[in-house]
Amino acid sequence: MKLYSLSILYKGATKSNLLKAAYDLSSFSFFQRSSIQEFMTFTSALIVERTSQGTRASVKEQEYLCHVYVRNDNLGAVVIADTEYPQRVCFTLLDKVLEEFSRQVDSIDWPSGNPDTINYKALDIHLSKYQNPREADAMTKVQAELDETKIILHNTMESLLERGEKLDDLVAKSEHLGNQSKAFYKTARKQN
Amino acid sequence: VKDVIIKPDAPSTLLLEKHADYIAAYGSKKDDYEYTLSEYLRMSGIYWGLTVMDLMGQLPRMNQQEIIDFIKACQHECGGISASIGHDPHLLYTLSAVQILCLYDSIDAIDVDKVVEYVKGLQQEDGSFAGDKWGEIDTRFSFCAVATLALLGKMDTINVDKAVEFVLSCMNFDGGFGCRPGSESHAGQIYCCTGFLSLTGQLHQLNADLLGWWLCERQLPSGGLNGRPEKLPDVCYSWWVLASLKIIGRICWIDKDKLRKFILACQDEETGGFADRPGDMVDPFHTLFGVAGLSLLGDEQIKPVNPVLCMPEDVLQRIGLQPDLLS
Amino acid sequence: EVDVLVQRVVKDIANAFKKNPSIDEIGVIPCPEARYNRSPIVLVENKLGVESWCVKFLLPYVHNKLLLYRQRKHWLDREALVDITCTLLLLNPDFTTAWNVRKELLLCGVLNPEKDLYLGKLALTKFPKSPETWIHRRWVLQQVLNQVSTLDHNKNQQQAEAVQADAERNEQLSDRLARTLCQEMKVCSDAAGRYPSNYNAWSHRIWVLQHMARGNVKVFHDELSSMRVWVSMHVSDHSGFHYRQFLLKELIAEICKRPAHTSTSCSPQRGCSTVPEGSPCPHSRSHSNGEPSGQEAGGEEDSHADFTTVLQLFHQEMDLCSDLIQSFPGHETLWSHRRHVFYLWDQW
Ligand SMILES: CC(C)=CCC/C(C)=C/CC/C(C)=C/CC/C(C)=C/COP(=O)(O)OP(=O)(O)O
Repeated sequence: MKLYSLSILYKGATKSNLLKAAYDLSSFSFFQRSSIQEFMTFTSALIVERTSQGTRASVKEQEYLCHVYVRNDNLGAVVIADTEYPQRVCFTLLDKVLEEFSRQVDSIDWPSGNPDTINYKALDIHLSKYQNPREADAMTKVQAELDETKIILHNTMESLLERGEKLDDLVAKSEHLGNQSKAFYKTARKQN
Repeated sequence: VKDVIIKPDAPSTLLLEKHADYIAAYGSKKDDYEYTLSEYLRMSGIYWGLTVMDLMGQLPRMNQQEIIDFIKACQHECGGISASIGHDPHLLYTLSAVQILCLYDSIDAIDVDKVVEYVKGLQQEDGSFAGDKWGEIDTRFSFCAVATLALLGKMDTINVDKAVEFVLSCMNFDGGFGCRPGSESHAGQIYCCTGFLSLTGQLHQLNADLLGWWLCERQLPSGGLNGRPEKLPDVCYSWWVLASLKIIGRICWIDKDKLRKFILACQDEETGGFADRPGDMVDPFHTLFGVAGLSLLGDEQIKPVNPVLCMPEDVLQRIGLQPDLLS
Repeated sequence: EVDVLVQRVVKDIANAFKKNPSIDEIGVIPCPEARYNRSPIVLVENKLGVESWCVKFLLPYVHNKLLLYRQRKHWLDREALVDITCTLLLLNPDFTTAWNVRKELLLCGVLNPEKDLYLGKLALTKFPKSPETWIHRRWVLQQVLNQVSTLDHNKNQQQAEAVQADAERNEQLSDRLARTLCQEMKVCSDAAGRYPSNYNAWSHRIWVLQHMARGNVKVFHDELSSMRVWVSMHVSDHSGFHYRQFLLKELIAEICKRPAHTSTSCSPQRGCSTVPEGSPCPHSRSHSNGEPSGQEAGGEEDSHADFTTVLQLFHQEMDLCSDLIQSFPGHETLWSHRRHVFYLWDQW
């Protein structure tokens, strides 16, 4: 079981902006890591944009599960994990980092912040500690307020999109994805 | 549960014409990069393509003479047959070549006695078979050896008792089989071993209920079958698992309608052909096992397929081979 | 023109290996177009990358070269053969005949086993399931084993003459085997991490133990303890759990067949002479699983100790299994493991 990325974002009126992110891409092949990282960032942003305030959701995309929580104050976080990693622990982690982040970073900085300007350093530590869910001691602390039936489950990224909207088009249009990543996306699709 | 979701717009009818066009065109892309990549298994590739064409009643569309000449050019001094010209001989491709020649009723195109010598020469003291002269042992090769000999009517040239003893030593506590003694059970290896026991008349040695239970647990909520616990479903396992269930007389233990839906969803409506899972790239391997799986499920647009040899029943009738099945 | 380009790329690859003998991964860099005056071969942080645009020229070229040679239509010298099969196998590791060419080169002394084990290891970083790569590995390992056992044999015959030299050589051999064993375990772990339930990787690991550590209880114990962490982090990897079942079964069989009256140190005919008592993997040394080695005492107490060891193995395994089932509900793999452990218990 593995956690690949953990990011904190602010959900703006139409777009979301990345405030801070941590990655563990050691299990991917070296030459794919930069593209995969770009895709994880792209996906996390897209998911926050398409998730309404005060909701938790899990989105399945191939062998990955992206768990998202967007709070009522528009602060959101996404963790990308494999399908083995327990969902409950992911949401505990999201709650925890959002809570910590909002205590340490002034909400004035949220709408315009970016990873370079935001001073919050704990994300890498959380990501690495939670790699082993049993050591993160979250297993035992069952979150009382976490009602699993309220977590929305999307079986594909597509189900987040509007009618007529296509993931391929969003990828092609994205300014945040480099040419190498777009080429990578094309070859990765439809291959097993 | 690791599984796929079948989209509501996935194909739900059998697109036979598309598949025939796909296979007929496949061999004409000989300069393609992908085609070069798969040359090391060409002989099996041709067997997959021809068998699926025959099952769909489209065999005449393929170039018989060219294929037979190709096979002749692939037989080596030692009697073994290679995947393609310039490659080394191997049991895997020897079986495929013999299967193709049976489809064409042209077994005399090659030196049959030498094939028999080759197969015989690969049996080891413990009864197992090496895949080629370099000595790798695998129950897949036990199957290839006896299937080749059965098609040639020469089973008596090897030590069958010893061969059976080895395959049985690969049986596991779950009733399944792996590639060697002590190896994990795998649906592909189970197909090889049950097929082997059928051809050698030893199906009674199986624990059919135990094995059948393991096999039918391969079915996932999507209807598709996987090859081992907690793996994704794959159309080729519709063959390996279903054929094994058929051989041991337990095919009714799976949900046929759901499996059929899954297999149909793996078709590519545009290009024709089947992929391992819905939405992936198609290839001749999955196309054969998709169609052959549907045949085992009783689809009447497809010729009946033999579960042991994965060849049309009418071909086996012609050569007078009727492998045992449990009832 | 393409030929010239491709020949240069094949050379670039060979040179990269000469320049950096510690390359530990290969990969393709997505890059649809060539860039001027730049080799498509990139070496960063011990990773060897080839730009994707050139693969479609490179592969057919080395592919055809090798086949022409195989049909005796075109001559290649040994060095060219080594380079061409290397490039070919890194791009298409299931090309059986290319591995066979290398087997022949190995038999006539042009290649050594270490070289080929290394090439296979690299191919597995990109193609962790590649059956032909695993098959070739077993053949190479068998060559190493044959070498060692013929040397062993010679040794016995000349024993009277050079006892001292023998001891040294014997130690070198054991060292070599121990190192090879350790390396194989690492190669298997890496491949298992790259592809879940990697059948070929795990059945290779079993083969290696069966052929290189037969009867060596210490190695089996170490494997069992180092696998504990791995399976706890891969609770749906059925192959990993099957490997544990294999270890348990072999350990129980070994412990039970140990003659009660001799000391528990290995008897030579069990193959222990080939692998030294010390752990082959220094990093996995620190675990104790209650192995009763070095027990003095007579028969009765010995067999009692063995009994306790086996019982302890079962208890520890059941605890692990229950613990994982509770932490990670809903895994077929864990339940099937549980069933298997009960089965082994019942058999015992
Ligand atoms: C006549 C016919 C149809 C076949 C000839 C006989 C042969 C060679 C059958 C092959 C059966 C087969 C698929 C064996 C399994 C091989 C194996 C151990 C594959 C390992 O699987 P993974 O590489 O882990 O891939 P999966 O993820 O699909 O399990």
